[in-house]
Amino acid sequence: MLLPLLVCPPRASAVLTRCVRTLPCGASRTPLHTQAEHFLRRRLPPRLHLHSRGTKSRGRGFKSQEEEWKTRNKTVLTYIAAAGVGMIGLSYAAVPLYRLYCQASGLGGTAVAGHDADQVETMTPVKERVLKISFNADTHASMQWNFRPQQTEIFVVPGETALAFYRAKNPTDQPIIGISTYNVVPFEAGQYFNKIQCFCFEEQRLNPHEEVDMPVFFYIDPEFDEDPRMARVDTIILSYTFFEAKEGQKLPLPGY
Amino acid sequence: MSNAMNFGTKSFKPRAPDKGSFPLDHFGECKAFKERFMKCLKDNSFDNAKCRLQSKDYLECRMDNQLMAKEPLSRLGFKDLMDPPPSQADGDTKP
Repeated sequence: MLLPLLVCPPRASAVLTRCVRTLPCGASRTPLHTQAEHFLRRRLPPRLHLHSRGTKSRGRGFKSQEEEWKTRNKTVLTYIAAAGVGMIGLSYAAVPLYRLYCQASGLGGTAVAGHDADQVETMTPVKERVLKISFNADTHASMQWNFRPQQTEIFVVPGETALAFYRAKNPTDQPIIGISTYNVVPFEAGQYFNKIQCFCFEEQRLNPHEEVDMPVFFYIDPEFDEDPRMARVDTIILSYTFFEAKEGQKLPLPGY
Repeated sequence: MSNAMNFGTKSFKPRAPDKGSFPLDHFGECKAFKERFMKCLKDNSFDNAKCRLQSKDYLECRMDNQLMAKEPLSRLGFKDLMDPPPSQADGDTKP
């Protein structure tokens, strides 16, 4: 019954208020009466401010809103500036950090711990750590040399120079020029595998029916023993592969 | 070879030898020394530490026959073989 009151226009509510008030005051205030008054009173105060909303209330609310926007913008700008400065700082810090990472992982062929040419003179062999070096020889499918190692394995210790031999024979009637490359497995041990002299990366010419011995003079860096990643490595496989080199071909050589 | 360029995988980077490449021994001038070295290896179950003298002899042969750049053997890691055996005290202090 009271619901239609809520949707009445303001004039109606004023009329209704007067109606409610003209009810006998002496009569006990029924719940309905109190409820009606409560509803009407609640409706009126906002309506009173209806006309003044354009000036007073807007001014007050607008100002606080603007201030709110300002502070919020300021904090956002501060965060963005901090992030920008942080990014610049990170880009400067990245240079030494990346260098450290490359040294640890051996990426990019950087000078890694375990490769120092002058230390051959001064290094002392680590006699407790015996490593087995296995030898493997391959040729490219179109390469007609017979290429094989002269020993299947050799036992060395880090810090001691060692000599190993391969043999290559040219069974054909034409001189063949070969060029080789090598591989060391496991890859991480490859950084400690230093060749003093070998026969790789340079053209080697074999005359028809010629057989030669090809030595490899190498050593394992003594720091191999101190690397925790190499603690369980006992076997290193050295693998050479020969390819045929055509006359006048210029091949890119690593490190030269 | 090891040219799988996956991010994070370690790949093997071949390095050039420190002193370059051995010239080929076309005339077999040092073949005798090599045979001695290989025999020593076979006799000692391929233990390199026991055959260092033979490897030193082979490299000396190479140097004598213009098959290797002449260098003091101490620079090739044979410092311990250069010391005269009787004077062991000297051997420790020799640079």
